[in-house]
Amino acid sequence: MSYFGLNKLGTLLNIIKESGGIRASLYKLYRMDELKLGTLIGTDKYGNKYYENPRFFYGRNRWVEYAPQYRLEYDGSQVPAEWFGWLHYKTDLPPDKDPGRPKYKWMADHTENLSGTTGQYVPYSTTVPKIEAWKPK
Amino acid sequence: MLSNIKTVGRLWHKVLSRSLQTSSVLQHDSLFVHRDTPEDNPDVSFEFTPENEKRAEAILAIYPEGHKRAAMIPLLDLAQRQHGWLPISAMHKVADILELPRMRVYEVATFYTMFIRRPIGKYHLQVCTTTPCWLRGSDDILNTIKNKLGIEVGGTTPDCMFSLSEVECLGACVNAPMIQINDDYYEDLTCQDTEEILNELKCGNKPRAGPRNGRFAAEPLGEPTSLKSEPPGPGFGIRSDL
Amino acid sequence: MLRITAQKSLAGAKVSPKHLFPIFSRSSTDVAKKPEKIEVFIDDKPVLVEPGTTVLQAAALVGVEIPRFCYHERLAVAGNCRMCLVEVEKSPKPVAACAMPVMKGWRIKTDSEMTRKAREGVMEFLLVNHPLDCPICDQGGECDLQDQSMAFGSDRSRFTDIDFSGKRAVEDKDIGPLIKTIMTRCIHCTRCIRFASEVAGIDDLGTTGRGSDMQVGTYVEKFFLSELSGNVIDLCPVGALTSKPYSFTARPWETRKTDSIDVLDAVGSNIVVCTRTGDVLRILPRINEDINEEWLSDKSRFAYDGLKRQRLVTPMLRDACGELKPVDWEAALLGVGKVLKAAGGNITAVAGGLADAEALVALKDLVNKLGSEAVCIENSFPLDGSGTDLRSSYLLNNKIAPAEEADLVLLIGTNPRLEAPLLNSRIRKGYVHNETEIAVIGPKIDLRYDYIHLGEDPSIIRQIENGQHAFVKKLKSAKKPLVILGSDTLSRSDGAAILSSVQSLSRGLQDEMCDPEWKVLNILHKVANQVAALDIGYTPDLSKICESSPKVLYLLGADDCGITRADLPDGCFIVYQGHHGDQGASIADAVLPGIAYTEKQATYVNTEGRAQQTLVAVTPPGLAREDWKIIRALSEIVGAKLPYDSLEEIRYRLEEVAPHLTRYGCAEAANYFCEALELGKKTNAPIDTSPLDVKQKTLEDFYMTDVISRASPTMAKCVAAVQKQNLSKY
Repeated sequence: MSYFGLNKLGTLLNIIKESGGIRASLYKLYRMDELKLGTLIGTDKYGNKYYENPRFFYGRNRWVEYAPQYRLEYDGSQVPAEWFGWLHYKTDLPPDKDPGRPKYKWMADHTENLSGTTGQYVPYSTTVPKIEAWKPK
Repeated sequence: MLSNIKTVGRLWHKVLSRSLQTSSVLQHDSLFVHRDTPEDNPDVSFEFTPENEKRAEAILAIYPEGHKRAAMIPLLDLAQRQHGWLPISAMHKVADILELPRMRVYEVATFYTMFIRRPIGKYHLQVCTTTPCWLRGSDDILNTIKNKLGIEVGGTTPDCMFSLSEVECLGACVNAPMIQINDDYYEDLTCQDTEEILNELKCGNKPRAGPRNGRFAAEPLGEPTSLKSEPPGPGFGIRSDL
Repeated sequence: MLRITAQKSLAGAKVSPKHLFPIFSRSSTDVAKKPEKIEVFIDDKPVLVEPGTTVLQAAALVGVEIPRFCYHERLAVAGNCRMCLVEVEKSPKPVAACAMPVMKGWRIKTDSEMTRKAREGVMEFLLVNHPLDCPICDQGGECDLQDQSMAFGSDRSRFTDIDFSGKRAVEDKDIGPLIKTIMTRCIHCTRCIRFASEVAGIDDLGTTGRGSDMQVGTYVEKFFLSELSGNVIDLCPVGALTSKPYSFTARPWETRKTDSIDVLDAVGSNIVVCTRTGDVLRILPRINEDINEEWLSDKSRFAYDGLKRQRLVTPMLRDACGELKPVDWEAALLGVGKVLKAAGGNITAVAGGLADAEALVALKDLVNKLGSEAVCIENSFPLDGSGTDLRSSYLLNNKIAPAEEADLVLLIGTNPRLEAPLLNSRIRKGYVHNETEIAVIGPKIDLRYDYIHLGEDPSIIRQIENGQHAFVKKLKSAKKPLVILGSDTLSRSDGAAILSSVQSLSRGLQDEMCDPEWKVLNILHKVANQVAALDIGYTPDLSKICESSPKVLYLLGADDCGITRADLPDGCFIVYQGHHGDQGASIADAVLPGIAYTEKQATYVNTEGRAQQTLVAVTPPGLAREDWKIIRALSEIVGAKLPYDSLEEIRYRLEEVAPHLTRYGCAEAANYFCEALELGKKTNAPIDTSPLDVKQKTLEDFYMTDVISRASPTMAKCVAAVQKQNLSKY
């Protein structure tokens, strides 16, 4: 069977099944440019899912599937800091299984990069403007 | 311990004195800008006395129309003689008389050192300390005056009678040492002469001006040593065949 | 004082400035007997010069520049810096080139061993007491001492201060808010003193003390306040006198220089605008012998910081609450366009003195297209008689430069010292060097020269016209009389009568003139573009605006017209277009931000009718746009499209209206004096008895006269300084 590569067909079917049908698979392919089979390691509070499949080469064997509400507007900064370490092989322990991680009340929520949106950071100038405009009284 | 502190202090002083920059010392004993003082400000009124008014007119009459500004120095001198020194209001008065901008009068009044622009004693003692007088003992004369009056060079006695200045050659080297008191030269002085002069001035008398050692003007002490015979008449020293 | 001595000494030495420069030699009276030219040799190059020429000038004729500090061609010769020492063959000592007239056959060596040694020696002496603070000195880069010590100084110094006594130090003087003094840097060239006493006529500067204690200053605590005081900054060859507003701002090589025209008075002085990174850093005069020589009035030089304050940077519309709110151009133009369309030709436009000719012609075309003829200027001018139809009745016909040749000047209701300082400096030059007599009808004012005060009563003009006044004899005997009539007088209710009276008295004198080029009648305006507005066809009649009850009032930079809301009918929509938020903008319903003279290429015509153009020195602030472009854009929205899209096209339109407006640099002469007089005679109105008056009487009134100078903090400081000076006892 493997000789004819039919096992790959089985994998494909498996992937399609895991992804939730043909329609969902096509959407996923459109959205993420690839379809991969992996073990779901965890989900963060924003809905991003983290997968691992050691069958792939190191460096490609952990990935994130961004939460559906992001649609096509996902980017790397939506991965919160606690999952960042796992995703980038800084640690093999996912955050929920790592007892050593600090958790304090004052720790801020993760924010994604807001550049290009209305929430972006705009530095302001402290120099006096060269031209002082007239203000109507 | 104490000596250590001292050493550190001295070193620190050295560091400070090297790093602190100061501008050069004032080179002149008078200022060339005006500062309002209670004695010298434009509100102090200055008017020529009626006699001086006449003198001023006479001075002005010397100069032709259009060149009246030449009367500036005589008028300033007149004002200084009347007031004892030259206040700014006197300069303004002279400027008004000559119809000149005030600045032109300030220029002249600051240029000449004999115009004194700050209050000064009744008697201005100017001790010559240039080489000939110095060789003949002007330092002693200066010290005598300092001790007698208790003032330093540039100072004025509290009763505003005497002011002391050190001046350069006054052109009486042959009668060195000498001092000039107001308009008079007192020459061939000794310390004792100086004290006498000061005492007399204090009493309100005017001591006799001129050499104090008895000679006449710059003639030799005793009798003349040359040019004693009758002056030769016309034709003296001419060849006989002419 | 200066007058008599200068005259005497010049007569003796035969080096009157008249003989020295071609510009002065315009007077043709003393050409009858020209003395023979003499030949001298400069570095073996022969040159023929007039007798009385100095060595320095003779050298300049063959292109040899002799270094100098104290010598300045527009000031009296002082000869005290000794930098111009040159060797003359057979002379045992070097001679000061600036003061020594050449003799026949002299061989002058400007690059000999002796000359070079003399220069190095003088330079060494100057530098002994000059501080080495070039890195923090504002003059650095444009310093004569720097340049000349590089070119002519020794390459090494013998100045070793073994006693650490330091260099000579002089305390700085406070001579006002414009000029910063660092007196230790002074090299005693006395240029500032000579300028103050000869050109400005303020004898406040002088030298005090003597020898190495000499210092230049005012002696007492006094500001050097003159309408021309800023020029001593340019004159100072070192950094002793520098500009206070410009201090520590920039180096001369960093700035971009743009040639331009000053618009703060009607003289139209030529200026250089120095800018860096879109910022006007300073304004310097540019030499134009016909207008400002190389001087500049203080308002023109220092009011530039007004260009950065109170600016209109965005269009504004009055919202429902009655408040002006910033909007974008589209909304503003649509809003104004709607009102203009609805007005149905009931529109009045008023132009201010700073409006350029391009904007004036565009606005006039637009208003005319919309069916209205009511375009006026805020400075009124009599319309009766010849009115503004003939240029001769509103120009300074005799031009500015010849004013110094006049032998009799009659000023009627004007204060040239504050209205046109550079014209006044010409009159003063005539007064000092030419024995010019000056008479004034109007209030007693300080002109910095003596004059005969004929009185304030305007009827004196009639008396002179009819030959009843004693002054007529003097007028008749004058060879080159000049009558200068101020614009303040013309805005009186009897302005027409006064104008026609002055025209007729000038005509009487003109007929007896042997020189047909000499024009007796002169009108002096106060604002930059009054002449251009009259040339284009604006009517100077403000009073009729309110009577005509317009639906839309379009103010083009008009801030001084004195119109208030109360003068206008209810519901009148006021549009203000201009560059400064001042009176006009505050009453407006719509504000369209135009730009100031440093930001546009625009045409201005000065009081003598000389068209000149400003050039773009900095980019306009914010959303502000060129004035004529705003009007052009508006015209399209209103549906009366103006047929010009570029500067060339609008200039072509200007040329159609008045061809001289685009002949830059030329002053188009006006004629038809007789015709103007004939028209004037028809008015025959009586002259009021109210005394003549001028608006600007004392120096305080000089500094803040228009939107730019009113917004300028420097000018405000000047006014404060004058007030402080008035309280001072000195």
